[in-house]
Amino acid sequence: MALLDKNASPEEITSVVEAWLDENWDTEKRCAKGEDSYDEKAWLTKVFEAGFCVPSWPIEWYGLGLSAKQGGIIEKAFAKRKAQGSARDRFHLGAITVFKVGSDELKRTMLPIMLTGPICCLLYSEPGAGSDLAGVRTKAIPDGDDYIITGQKIWTSNAQEAEYGMLLTRTDWDVPKHRGITFFLFPMKQDGVEVKPINQITGESEFNEVFITEARVPATHIIGSLNEGWKSFQTAIAYERLIMGQGITERRGKSKADSEPQLITLARKSGKYGDPGVRQKIAQALAYRELNGLNMMRAKEEIMTNGSSSLMSLGKLAMSRVQHGEAAIATDLLGNEALLDGDDNPDAANVNFDAAKAYMNSIGGGTDQIQKNIIAERVLNLPKEPEPDKGMAFRDVKSS
Amino acid sequence: MSQISDEDRQALRDGFARYLEADAHEEKLRSGIATDRGYDDAIWNQMAEMGLLGIAIPEDFGGIGGGAIDVALVMEEVGKKLVPVPFVSTCVVAAEMIARFAPDSVKQDLLEKIATGEIVVSTGGSGDFVALADDGHSLTAKSAGDGWAVSGEVSFVSHGGHADYHLLGLNEDGAQSAFLVKSSDTVAAKRLTTNDPAQRLFKLKLTDAEAINLKGINADGINQVAMRGIAAAAAEQAGATRAIFEITMEYLRTRYQFGRAIGSFQAMKHMAADLLVEVESATSAALAAAKALDAGAPNAAKFVSLTAFTCKDAFREASAQAIQMHGGIAYTEEHVAHLYWRRARAGLPVFGSSDEHREQYLKSREAA
Repeated sequence: MALLDKNASPEEITSVVEAWLDENWDTEKRCAKGEDSYDEKAWLTKVFEAGFCVPSWPIEWYGLGLSAKQGGIIEKAFAKRKAQGSARDRFHLGAITVFKVGSDELKRTMLPIMLTGPICCLLYSEPGAGSDLAGVRTKAIPDGDDYIITGQKIWTSNAQEAEYGMLLTRTDWDVPKHRGITFFLFPMKQDGVEVKPINQITGESEFNEVFITEARVPATHIIGSLNEGWKSFQTAIAYERLIMGQGITERRGKSKADSEPQLITLARKSGKYGDPGVRQKIAQALAYRELNGLNMMRAKEEIMTNGSSSLMSLGKLAMSRVQHGEAAIATDLLGNEALLDGDDNPDAANVNFDAAKAYMNSIGGGTDQIQKNIIAERVLNLPKEPEPDKGMAFRDVKSS
Repeated sequence: MSQISDEDRQALRDGFARYLEADAHEEKLRSGIATDRGYDDAIWNQMAEMGLLGIAIPEDFGGIGGGAIDVALVMEEVGKKLVPVPFVSTCVVAAEMIARFAPDSVKQDLLEKIATGEIVVSTGGSGDFVALADDGHSLTAKSAGDGWAVSGEVSFVSHGGHADYHLLGLNEDGAQSAFLVKSSDTVAAKRLTTNDPAQRLFKLKLTDAEAINLKGINADGINQVAMRGIAAAAAEQAGATRAIFEITMEYLRTRYQFGRAIGSFQAMKHMAADLLVEVESATSAALAAAKALDAGAPNAAKFVSLTAFTCKDAFREASAQAIQMHGGIAYTEEHVAHLYWRRARAGLPVFGSSDEHREQYLKSREAA
């Protein structure tokens, strides 16, 4: 696929990619041409070999050396035919992190496997390390060419399917907390790894607990360097926040702009839409949502021109007010009906689900309170809070 | 649509911001407040020099042919420094009304004079320049020779003391009309005591005052003008919101108590982060409204309502919290915070309250 390079026009890219898809992808059957069913590994391998998997990466690292914008054109052509596998340089967090901070050996051995497999799960949080993530206590002890891992991780999505996890461990207990952490690319399919789904207050089970008991990972799978995992991890988390932000704007983009908002429909149904107090509340709730969309659009424009935007960090915080606020209004509109639940009471079930689900945004990926600290310190340059564990050996840090 | 290129727009804004940074400091604001007009004439003259007074006026009429987006950027800068110039009344509302409805015989002359800064035009302080009946006015108009004569009383007229013309609306038995009343002996202006010391509000008493009838006004045209006025005022508030927020952040970084900067306390950080959402939302709303107006977008009215209440409320919140976060120092007249806070309060009823705009916004979100 040496047909595309930095100078390729959008039209050229589209025509090359479409021709390739014509030849290899059966849009109707949603699988590779000539096959009867979708074989994920085989298809992803095809996309990988063509370079469409990570088009913005250099040719020597499985990409095509294209710009992010050019990559977006490939992504669009794939999306149009509902074909998987493109834009993994935007969404495959594990592969992106290995590509950015991994050793050449790790990249050469693992990237082809990662890019043609399921996305990695993220083994970060622990029962005792949530907001204070650098307080992880999962142990990694060297043993020959391997490390032996023991500990418990929580809030892990995709842990059932993932072949590899991005694992934060403690390798030195006698230095301050940020300096004794090592980041591993950890094989999930082995003895000593037990995955248990968590039952959430929404009734869903998106997350898992992962219990690791004397499982092994080769020393060559360290991402970055020994005891410098916190630095490597910063790269991973920055991409994660970027993806979350993009997710928000993309989902917003898909909702029909001119269809009537659900809160209005619900208020009409409840007979309370004429109440001026109700109308003011609904208007403000809709405004908060629209304003967040406008902020994120500005963020996108700033990223296009300056490469970054501090506005991006506001999206998640603003969304908490939107989601909790809308759910509260909807609950009030339903009145007694909100006491009910289940399939027989779809309005109530939806509202009660939304009210619980709002915590996903205001706690997940860093609570609103942590997010406010981050915004205050990184965007507004307000000084850091004194940290009692600063400079203290992690071994001596108080824990609950 | 704006006739100004993106580059020129940026240069214009940067040049104006640099000028204000150097010449519109707090001392100037305070010395301007002590004058009859409320602002330093040098700033108005500089704005004329830079072409800013004619920014919304077409080139053929002596302006530079900008759009709502250009007005918004200028007003953001004006707002940051709280410069109390009669820009919205003269260069947006009056200029738009004249361009649309003034007789050809005076149109060119008046617009050129606005662009050069020769004339200042006042409007009803409520912004509701066509139907002022609620403000207790009792204006009547009759034709007199070639022109018109307007009599009666009208209140809440901003900059009514030194304005050369007053844009006044009449609503007689449901029939709306608008007049440009010329300042002369027949117009007596009584200054009202205002809560914002930089604001200039007057009660006018007109006795057969010479006036130009803006014939052919219609609801749609007036609505278009009002939307541009609202968007401009909102952009001013967005700029002021950002400025008082930044002043507050600087204080949090440099004020020490308990041996640490007060900005290191989470109680302060969390207020700051919440306020930043309001600051950025105000900017985003102001830009969205201006862009929608320039594009002639069918949903422009929605964005204008959104920016109206978003910017009013953000400015009120950011300036009120600024006093709280500063503590005692901002409870003194020497500190600038109360001037922002008073300006925010002064803006609340202008062009309709936040609640009224929220109601309009809700209507625009309903299924057609």
